[in-house]
Amino acid sequence: MKTYTLHVSGMHCASCPMLIEGELIDQPNIMQAKASLKHHSVEITGEFEEKSLEEVASDLTEIVRSHGYTLSPEKQKHDAKWSEFKIAIPLTVGFVAFFIILQKLGLVNLVTTSEVSYGTAFLIGMIASVSTCMAVVGGLVLSMSANYAKEGDKIRPQLFFHIGRLVSFFVLGGVIGALGSVFQIGVTGTIVLNFVVAFVLLILGINLLDVFPWVKKLQLTLPKFMGTHVHGLKQINHTLTPVLIGVATFFLPCGFTQSMQIYALTTGSFITGALTMFVFALGTLPVLALLSFSSLTIHTKARSGIFFKTAGLVVVFFGLFNLHNALVIAGIIPSLISF
Amino acid sequence: MKSTVIAILIGAVFVSVAIMLSQQSPSTIAVEEVNNVTVVDGKQIVSITAKGGYSPRISKAKADIPTTLKMTTNGTFDCSSALTLPSIAYQENLPSSGITNIDIPAQKAGTTFEGLCSMGMQRFEIAFE
Repeated sequence: MKTYTLHVSGMHCASCPMLIEGELIDQPNIMQAKASLKHHSVEITGEFEEKSLEEVASDLTEIVRSHGYTLSPEKQKHDAKWSEFKIAIPLTVGFVAFFIILQKLGLVNLVTTSEVSYGTAFLIGMIASVSTCMAVVGGLVLSMSANYAKEGDKIRPQLFFHIGRLVSFFVLGGVIGALGSVFQIGVTGTIVLNFVVAFVLLILGINLLDVFPWVKKLQLTLPKFMGTHVHGLKQINHTLTPVLIGVATFFLPCGFTQSMQIYALTTGSFITGALTMFVFALGTLPVLALLSFSSLTIHTKARSGIFFKTAGLVVVFFGLFNLHNALVIAGIIPSLISF
Repeated sequence: MKSTVIAILIGAVFVSVAIMLSQQSPSTIAVEEVNNVTVVDGKQIVSITAKGGYSPRISKAKADIPTTLKMTTNGTFDCSSALTLPSIAYQENLPSSGITNIDIPAQKAGTTFEGLCSMGMQRFEIAFE
């Protein structure tokens, strides 16, 4: 014997609770049913074998559907859970301050040589991953991680992202080494790319905050653009999309990546260029992996809310940071931040 | 409630360290204001080093004479090597070590010429007087 509380959508009339109770009580396996108009819910007690709450809800929906009701495990009504910000905001402020500290430390001075060995490339990669490039690539990784975690897929898309990134850095690094020319996108291209990254991060970040439900309508952007309702498409969305985002990071505006590409280009060899870019990407891996698997720290439902809010705030910060940079480069506003 | 307190404490620690580090920068800027502008044969040369940012961050130069920007890099692999000069639509990746000369047209008095890295957060400016 178990008692469940189900949310009822479509319950608007004073006689609705009685109607629902009556219909449900008629079921042989249900002992008790108590509907509440105020909470739009129904509390049922009965035998449900080993069925999950979802299955119970869908079975019982069949019974009351003809009257225009739908039963679901959770409240459909939007609940922003503002209290989660009490922890999420200090965490975000701490992270942002930590990010600023990293920029102030002058880590680039660790590179004393002007010769690029593979060891140097690895070190530059590690420095790049905590530099302002984190605002671009790290922001994307974190929002991707959190968005996929919401769909219950914490590991696989992240693995595909990193594989895509490493392989593309190897192949594209080899290509520019062999061709001796680099993918130059120019001033306008950089500005456009900066704006695109900024807006994608802002939308993904605000979406993670789960405060403004209307932002979900803007979800024509990265992870969900294929529509997750179709099963086949969901598979693609969870494999091909992360791979493509990984490949795209080769072209994203990041000073370190650009200067490594310039170096790879001067090598004039496929294998040296490929290995240099690969080792560089490998150097960025530890920090990026930390960000992409941060969703694994979610163990309880209470924590997940805080995680998504914090991740959302951090991603919004990175988005604003990129927006600021794009506006500065475009000459629209004077620079407000300077490291 | 306990976790809120911990979160606030962690946040506060990082913020105070960041503020401490930030307060050091004005003095370094003052020190950086060295004589990096020379005039040779009626041509003005402004020397700027790019590594982990630009130095000096603020230069004072003469207006109305042709100017060359002399960018020096030495083991520079960060954003400052991707130089952008918005007012003359210049964007090039400087070699990781070496000297790059960039001619900029004579500037009017009162102009502030700005240089940025391609991501915009590292910058220098030259005030023409």
